[in-house]
Amino acid sequence: MPTTADSVSLGLPVAIDRIDRELKKLWSEGEGAMSRASLMNLAVYSEEPDSLTRNTQLLARITESHACRGIVIGAGPQSKNDCIEAWISAHCHVGRAGTKQVCSEQISFLLEGAKVKLLPSIVFSQLDSDLPLYLWWQSKFAEPMDPQLWSWIDRLIYDSQTWRDFNAQMRLVETAQREAKQRIVLCDLNWTRLVHFRIAFAQFFDHPSSHHHFREIERGTIVFGENFRSTAMLYVGWLAAQLGWEIRNGKSRDRIELENSTRRTVQIEMQESGDAPISSFVAHSSDIKFEIALARCGDLLEVCRAKSDQAPARQLLPAGENDSVKLMSEELMRGGQRRVYLRAVEKVRALL
Amino acid sequence: MPEQPERIRGWTHRLKVCVPLPVEPSEVRDVSTWLDMTKDQPNPLREGLSTRAVPQPCAIVIFGATGDLTHRKLIPALYNLAADGELPPAVTVVGFARRPKTDEEFRNQLGETTRQFSRQEVRDDIWKTFSQSLFYHQSEFEDEGGYRSLVKRLDQIDEERGTRGNRLFYFAAAPEQFEPILKNLKAAGLNTAKKGSWARVIIEKPFGRDLASAQELNRVVSNSFSEDQTYRIDHFLGKETAQNILVLRFANAIFEPIWNARYIDHIQITAAETLGVEGRAGYYETAGALRDMVQNHLLQLLCLVAMEAPTDLSADSIRDEKVKVVRSLRRYRADEIAKWVVRSQYTAGAINAEPVPAYREEERVNPNSETETYVALRLLLDTWRWSEVPIYLRVGKRLPKSATEISVHFKKAPMVLFNRDSIEHDQNVLVIRIQPDEGISLRMMAKIPGTSLRIEPVKMDFHYGTSFGKASPEAYERLLLDAKSGDATLFARRDEVEEAWAFIDSIENAWSGKDAPPLTFYPAGSWGPEEADELLARDGRAWRRL
Repeated sequence: MPTTADSVSLGLPVAIDRIDRELKKLWSEGEGAMSRASLMNLAVYSEEPDSLTRNTQLLARITESHACRGIVIGAGPQSKNDCIEAWISAHCHVGRAGTKQVCSEQISFLLEGAKVKLLPSIVFSQLDSDLPLYLWWQSKFAEPMDPQLWSWIDRLIYDSQTWRDFNAQMRLVETAQREAKQRIVLCDLNWTRLVHFRIAFAQFFDHPSSHHHFREIERGTIVFGENFRSTAMLYVGWLAAQLGWEIRNGKSRDRIELENSTRRTVQIEMQESGDAPISSFVAHSSDIKFEIALARCGDLLEVCRAKSDQAPARQLLPAGENDSVKLMSEELMRGGQRRVYLRAVEKVRALL
Repeated sequence: MPEQPERIRGWTHRLKVCVPLPVEPSEVRDVSTWLDMTKDQPNPLREGLSTRAVPQPCAIVIFGATGDLTHRKLIPALYNLAADGELPPAVTVVGFARRPKTDEEFRNQLGETTRQFSRQEVRDDIWKTFSQSLFYHQSEFEDEGGYRSLVKRLDQIDEERGTRGNRLFYFAAAPEQFEPILKNLKAAGLNTAKKGSWARVIIEKPFGRDLASAQELNRVVSNSFSEDQTYRIDHFLGKETAQNILVLRFANAIFEPIWNARYIDHIQITAAETLGVEGRAGYYETAGALRDMVQNHLLQLLCLVAMEAPTDLSADSIRDEKVKVVRSLRRYRADEIAKWVVRSQYTAGAINAEPVPAYREEERVNPNSETETYVALRLLLDTWRWSEVPIYLRVGKRLPKSATEISVHFKKAPMVLFNRDSIEHDQNVLVIRIQPDEGISLRMMAKIPGTSLRIEPVKMDFHYGTSFGKASPEAYERLLLDAKSGDATLFARRDEVEEAWAFIDSIENAWSGKDAPPLTFYPAGSWGPEEADELLARDGRAWRRL
């Protein structure tokens, strides 16, 4: 019987060649009004010990708002045992209508030793047909990148905030993308963390009559948390990419010097403080200050545009949360390409 | 090439007017060019973001601010927009009504009802900020002085809150109040905006009760506001599923080639509700189901289903195509009305096993009332695409369940092969469920497992609620945002409304003529009168079972 989100377990152990049959049985034995739903195949790969349980718990929450076929893979490539184990389960949640339970299937695999190489064939054999494949890669990318795997993936989700060597990892990701003939959309959760700060800053400039500020921004300050320097860098990269700024000097850890399209200098102060990925960004353009700061409650942004001779207009905007499930939900709600991300990365690649 | 928004929430998304705040006076150019400006000079920081640009700050003046619509729909919708970051902070609401009330009392009352009716839970911190944008202005609708003081108040709000002279007047009052309000707005100079600002008016239905009154209302409105300042709201068009009709038709290659008389046998549009008149007897007695539902909601749905592909997604391109559908509705002669239109009224019966009274026994209803609570129509569109394809509409109160849906019934497969020995095979039916349980289903034939060849219909079903965890915004959220952004796509244009009334009048006139067909009756809790079943049975068809 499908498990509920409250009692997450890996589910029923099954033999690899019986997964389909056992899944069917799972549904035939289910009780009450249930509906199996799936919008995508979401494969989650990790080499961390205990990742199967942790990712099953994450998937139980993600499926509350994103029905999918979950394929959770725990890999131990260094293990001396060559072993493969599988489990099936389902995450059921009462739908918005309040009557029927909406259920997402999960197939979990533990791959150890040489069996890790079977990853592509295991993933492909368990896909819900005609639905896109999203691969959430939670480990370091390592060479050689398996072209057989990447050629099937529609979206590759990763978190560059965890990378120690951004450029080396990004090169591997780009290799994967090339292998897939550019079909893979690169989805960086570190970029997703910035969505609300991007929206908050963008809304100051929706009217074309505000666009002159793009040329007049002289300085800015971004405050980021410990281990979130790369997040702040991506934000700077985004501003630079979209506003046509060029980096002139990024040697200092505390300051980045850029040049705008009119060759005027823009200074961005980088301040590490607190534990929120980004806690504030302030930009100054002639006599106007554009300010975005995380509110005390933590899930709202206080946004303010202040002119020296006017009362500032304050507003609260959604801030999002730096939580794996929230970030994934945010990411899965978005479609489209990630050209802006790639442009932002390109701008600050040398500084990451 | 700029990146498209990461998720396009509606088919008009890319056309949104982007007007931010606050903007220094010296920066504001002529408002008439804003749409072009924002299209020509998009905000580069919006590229790739899934949210739409925030609209301009404005003062929203609600006439009838103490009424149900304001409390149940408008303020909760505005609160949700604010909570989602879709409103600029300067947006200000001024409630205009007769009863004396302070700003604080007004805010407290709205706080209570917003907590009750809001789509998302009301957060104290957001409400606290949002409620400071709510103000109350006490005046009789007929009192010119009340409008003069409104001018002063709005000017003061512009000064203090930065609404920049932009005004959105929302008519949530009774239709008979529209004329004095409009006249007084004009007398006070509120119908025109200062240079660089705008003034718009949103009018709630009913837009008249016949062609003459609609034309008169439009004339009165146009005396004060031009057509491009006028937004006639039909909340059905703000529903996600209604907007999805065009996406379904024009974003999927498989439907358009078969969306015509060659493949479609007929279409049914149903709007059923279990409720009776529920305290609206005063209005309903003078309207009836035909005016209350068919003239607006059902004809709008018909337009979306039957229209040709617009040349682009601009408001007028879409509305141009919609109005052609209404124009192409075949007018019946007075003596044909009885044959093709069924009018009926509910008698006592039961809904969900609870006894309910007859319409004539409802409070404030004339015991001899001839008002129809149910109407069924067989329509034809005189176009190449829809030549001789019947479109059956039915709408009724006190029906067994509440549901609004469109079903497209395809022609049967040829009587060869599997169909040779059985003429009872069902058709393929595509159902678009507007509410509740929004979604789309397709019925098709499948072989029953077994050694013999038996064929039965099966259903492929897509549910919004199952597939998308995120709740859709309320129709009023979408429509208010569109009006503030100057996007009239989801609002009815004058010619649409008048063409619809011209069609409805031909039926109403026949009903009030000397040879008017008699009113029929159906018990509450049934699916309508027998005559409605006969309407389809004459064509060899039957109503879809909901």
